[in-house]
Amino acid sequence: MKTAVITGATSGIGLAVAKTLCRQGYAILGVGRSQTKCDAALKQIKTELPKSNAKLFCGDLAQQTDVNRLAEQISQHLDKNHDGKLDVLINNAGGVRNWYTTTHEGYETQFALNHLAGFLLTHRLLPHLSRAQGKMILTGSDSHKLMKMRWRDIMFKKRYSCLYAYKQSKLANLLFAKHFNDTLSDSNVRAYVVDPGLVNTDIGSKDTSGFVSWFWSKRAKHGVHPSVSAQTYAYICSEPNLTDLYYYRCEPKPHSKRVNSAGDAQRLWQLSEQLCNIDYKEALS
Amino acid sequence: MTALITGASGGLGRALAAECAAKGYDLFLTDISEQGLLEIKHGILRQYDVAVHTQVCDVTNPREVADLFAAIDARGIELNMFLGVAGIDFEGGFTQRGCDQILDIVNINIAATLRVTHAALEHRDTSQKFNVVIVSSLASQYPIPLKATYAASKRFLLDFSIALRQELMHDNVNVLALCPAGLTTTQQALDGIAAQGFMGRVTTVSLPTVARKTISKTLAGKATYTPGAVNRLLAVFGKLLPKSLIARLLYNRWSAAQEKWLDVSA
Repeated sequence: MKTAVITGATSGIGLAVAKTLCRQGYAILGVGRSQTKCDAALKQIKTELPKSNAKLFCGDLAQQTDVNRLAEQISQHLDKNHDGKLDVLINNAGGVRNWYTTTHEGYETQFALNHLAGFLLTHRLLPHLSRAQGKMILTGSDSHKLMKMRWRDIMFKKRYSCLYAYKQSKLANLLFAKHFNDTLSDSNVRAYVVDPGLVNTDIGSKDTSGFVSWFWSKRAKHGVHPSVSAQTYAYICSEPNLTDLYYYRCEPKPHSKRVNSAGDAQRLWQLSEQLCNIDYKEALS
Repeated sequence: MTALITGASGGLGRALAAECAAKGYDLFLTDISEQGLLEIKHGILRQYDVAVHTQVCDVTNPREVADLFAAIDARGIELNMFLGVAGIDFEGGFTQRGCDQILDIVNINIAATLRVTHAALEHRDTSQKFNVVIVSSLASQYPIPLKATYAASKRFLLDFSIALRQELMHDNVNVLALCPAGLTTTQQALDGIAAQGFMGRVTTVSLPTVARKTISKTLAGKATYTPGAVNRLLAVFGKLLPKSLIARLLYNRWSAAQEKWLDVSA
């Protein structure tokens, strides 16, 4: 039985991908922030797909302590039930904060949740992915375009803008995936980024207030149902030998030229390793 | 140079710790949360080239405070800055809260702050200028119904800071009272800002800005810092209008906002 870890699996795109992969016979290990929402999502999956093999783990991915604990729990579960093999890791959890807030480490929340959480979780689960010659998929966004890394103030301490912090975190997703493929071919794991398009989810309204929340609730109505985007994730999971990086509606798509900047990718990688206190080379040895 | 920070694992404490580290201060961080201290210590060490010491301490407990300063002595540290961030508030009216909770506000915000400030001054590096930051609040400017004890405790800290600054001015010590309005530190605080709508938005100043200016104004020898132009204007009203009128206005405002807020939190 193939295995998939999906973060942000209790609503929106994550839940739709969980259901889609359940239908295709994957064992699903989901991650959600609130126990109540984890329970509700699991119930929903079990009701719609009684034969599914799904389990949900609860934790706040913005906090590195939680990411490390979740990784340990998932790792043990994989060792016990799936010969330690993980076929797909989908780093989907992400969010928007209209005020500057920090994690327990003092990192800006969007950078920590949208980028560092996936960077750290992938490192922790890399041996399992490697064993299954698996795939790592990030939920990206076309909002990474017309954006560059703000190296002088990567956590937006000056002039915080929730939109620009979000755009940068999505550019970071692409730089991470690109550098992953460029430098970790020994791992036999390949990274992909999905542009889900405009999807009707509550990403922009659940942790925000005022104008941002109002604007997103109006805009989201024009988005597609999450199950439409889920098809692209399922496509990447099932197709062998996909060589492109960025996918939209089951097709490769051009990304911003800035993603090709090896300097930016290398710099982000080093900074992320430092901020997570990890070394990717060690994970493979 | 070393800065001692109480309440260091909360949102404002973390922001001030990061700002001090950015300015090159080594840090001595204390809080009641051991896990929280460890997390912010890691966060700082991974971003800044400074030394970070931590010790768990309930600042309301005299023995633990004595242990804290014994640990500072044991490391041979002389302090150059003290930031008293530890403080609490319980929402709700005076009679709606237990008396112990009300007295906790006084014990933590006032008594503990005085205890640690006193000890910090004794452990200061007298060869250089010493800076004290006392975290008061915009609430210090008014009598606030439904936050009566909290607002009064912050008034105490404001007046105390200004007077202490004058006392110690010739001993090369500056004392700054920080008087922020809403800060984006906890989910409850964010809910509170959202519940206040427009006023919540215009009175809220970005956390890193507050931290940066607090340190720069402290180093420049200022007496008080109220972040945000709107908040400074509101503070002026507090000085001009009769106290009983302010209390009436604030009661009408707070009771509506608090209802909405506690509704959100519930």
